Amino acid sequence: MPTRLTIIGAGPGGYVAAIRAAQRGAQVTVVEESEVGGTCLNWGCIPTKTLIASTEALEQARNAAEFGIELNGEVRYNLDRIRERKDRVVETQIKGIRALFKSRGITLIHGKGSFLSEDVVRSVQKDGTTQDIRSDRIIIATGSRPARMAAFPFDGRTVMTSDDAVQLKSVPQHLLIIGAGVIGCEFAFIYRSLGSTVTLVEIMPRALSTEDEDLSGIIERELKKAKVTLITSASVVTIGTADEGVMTASLSNGREVKADCVLVSIGRSLNTENLRLEDAGLAAGKRGEIPVNEKMETNIPGIYAVGDVTGRMMLAHVASHQGIVAADNALGGDMRMDYASVPAAIFTRPEIGSVGIREQQAREQGIAVKTGRFPYRALGKAHTTGEIAGLFKVIADAVTDRVLGVHICGARASDLIHEGALAIRMGATAQQLGDMVHAHPTFAEGIGEAAEDVLGMAIHVPGERRE
Amino acid sequence: MNPDDIKYHREHAWVRVEGKHATIGITDFAQQQLGDIVYVDLPETDTEVDADSELCEIESTKATSPVVSPVSGTVHEANDDLADSPEIMNEDPYGNGWIVVITMSDPSEVNDLMSRDEYEKFLKEEEER
Repeated sequence: MPTRLTIIGAGPGGYVAAIRAAQRGAQVTVVEESEVGGTCLNWGCIPTKTLIASTEALEQARNAAEFGIELNGEVRYNLDRIRERKDRVVETQIKGIRALFKSRGITLIHGKGSFLSEDVVRSVQKDGTTQDIRSDRIIIATGSRPARMAAFPFDGRTVMTSDDAVQLKSVPQHLLIIGAGVIGCEFAFIYRSLGSTVTLVEIMPRALSTEDEDLSGIIERELKKAKVTLITSASVVTIGTADEGVMTASLSNGREVKADCVLVSIGRSLNTENLRLEDAGLAAGKRGEIPVNEKMETNIPGIYAVGDVTGRMMLAHVASHQGIVAADNALGGDMRMDYASVPAAIFTRPEIGSVGIREQQAREQGIAVKTGRFPYRALGKAHTTGEIAGLFKVIADAVTDRVLGVHICGARASDLIHEGALAIRMGATAQQLGDMVHAHPTFAEGIGEAAEDVLGMAIHVPGERRE
Repeated sequence: MNPDDIKYHREHAWVRVEGKHATIGITDFAQQQLGDIVYVDLPETDTEVDADSELCEIESTKATSPVVSPVSGTVHEANDDLADSPEIMNEDPYGNGWIVVITMSDPSEVNDLMSRDEYEKFLKEEEER
C-alpha cells in the first residue's frame, strides 16, 4: 500500500510538496479552496511581475529617445490589454500546475480543508458537501492573506489590499499606500508608471526597513526620482469617508493626505484559524503560526507544515523548498531546511536581491565583518543599458573572510543574487569570490569587484590620493 | 570663466551673498570632475545646514558626491528646475545651475571663503600635488 499523503493548500508550498511526494511513490491528495498556485501565482509574485514587465516596457518606450529611437506620437498604454496579458500569464501557469498534477496522478479536490483528527482531513466543498480523507501523512500549506485593520473601510475598490491592487481595475489619480514594505514599494513603482500620484506612508523610519540600510537608501532616492512622496515614521490613524471621491487620511504626525484610492499593505495574516488545529492536537503560536523543526515536523508525528503558516521567511521559494523537505521526510527521507543561504528578491525599480547577514545585523549580533562595496555606475555594462543607479555589497567575516551576506540594489539584482547565495552555501571566501573571473561586460562583474573591495582591492574605483 | 563676484569654498562650492541670503552652487571645476549630472537630491525648505558639512548629494554618471555647504543657515529655497533638468548644473554652474538659497545664521563665515583668484591658485596647487 502506498503512503496516503494529504496536503491542505496548493500554493508554492503545497503543490511542490505534492509533486515531490508523488515522485516518492505516495498516493497524494491536495485540498485547495481556491486555485492552484496560491497567493504567489494568483495574487502575488507572478501577476505583479507581469504588471511590472508592462510598466518596464512603458518606461523604455518613454525613454526611447535616449537610445536614439524615435517613436511617432504619444506613448500610451491600454489598461485592458495589460490586465488581459497578466490574466493570460497566470492562466498558463495554472494550467501548467494542473497538467503536472495530472501527469503524476495527484488528486486535486476543490474544498476547504480542516482537521477532523490527527489522521483525517475534511474537505468542505462550495455546495456544502463534505469529503473525509483518511491520511497516513498530512502537510499543512494554507499560506497567508493580506492583513486588514478594522479601522479601514475595505471595499476592494477605493480601500484595497494587494489582492485588489493586482487586479488593476483602474488607475487612481492619487493613490495612498500604507506600508512601504516589499509590496507597498513594488506597487508604488507600478502605479506611478501608470500615472498615479503616489504617497507612501511607513511606520518605520525608512522604506524596506528589513533590508540593508544602504539598499533602503537607494530605493528611497529612486522613489524620490520617480516623484513618489514617502512619509516615514508615521502611520495612518483614520481614513475619512469619500467626499466627491476624495478621501482624507489623517496621519499620526498630524499631516493629512488626500487620495481617491488607498492600498493597505501592512503585512500578512496566516491562514490557520479555520483549520481546527486543536482537533489534531496541533500547537499554534501567537500569530497563528504552526511551529515546526528543521525537518518541517509539527508537534504531532506525521503532520508537517510548510510555507507562510510556519511563520518563517514568507517567500514562495522558501515555501517550495520547505515543501520538498516535508514531502521527503514524510516518506522516509531525512532532509533539513537551511535558511542561511536563502536569497530574497524585491521587484522595485531598480530591483533588490539579498542573501545572508546584513551589516547592521552583524553589528547587533557582535560579529566582526568587513564590507566591500561597488557602485553600478562604475560598470561599463550599466552605462550601455543606462541603468547606473545601484550598489553591490559583499559582507565577509573579518577573521575567516567567509562570505556571510551579499546585498544588491540595481538592474537584474534578483538574478545576480544567486552567485552570492552559492558563495554562502559553499562557504566561499570573499577572496575566492573576487578571484573568480566574471565575464565582461556584465552586471555580475559588480559582485567580483565588491568582493575584492572587502580587502580594498577593487579595480574600478578611485584610490586614495597618496600624500 | 570663474566669476569674481562670488566666494569659493575649498570643496568646490560657491556662494553669492545678497543681504542675509546666500545662493549656493558648485564650481565649474566640480561639474567638470563629476561629468554628466543625472540627479540632484535637493534639500527641503527649512532644512538646517552647517558650514563645511553636507548640503545635498549629486549623482553623475561617474559618481555620487556630496555638495558641501560653505555657510551655515536654513534652506530658504531650492532650485526646483534641477529636479527635471539636472544637466543645467553642467551647462550653467554659476547661473541657472544654482542649487539652493540659504538664510545665513552667521554671515561672518563668508569672510573665511576664497576669492576667485585665491580659488584658482588653490586649484593650481591641488593639481600640482
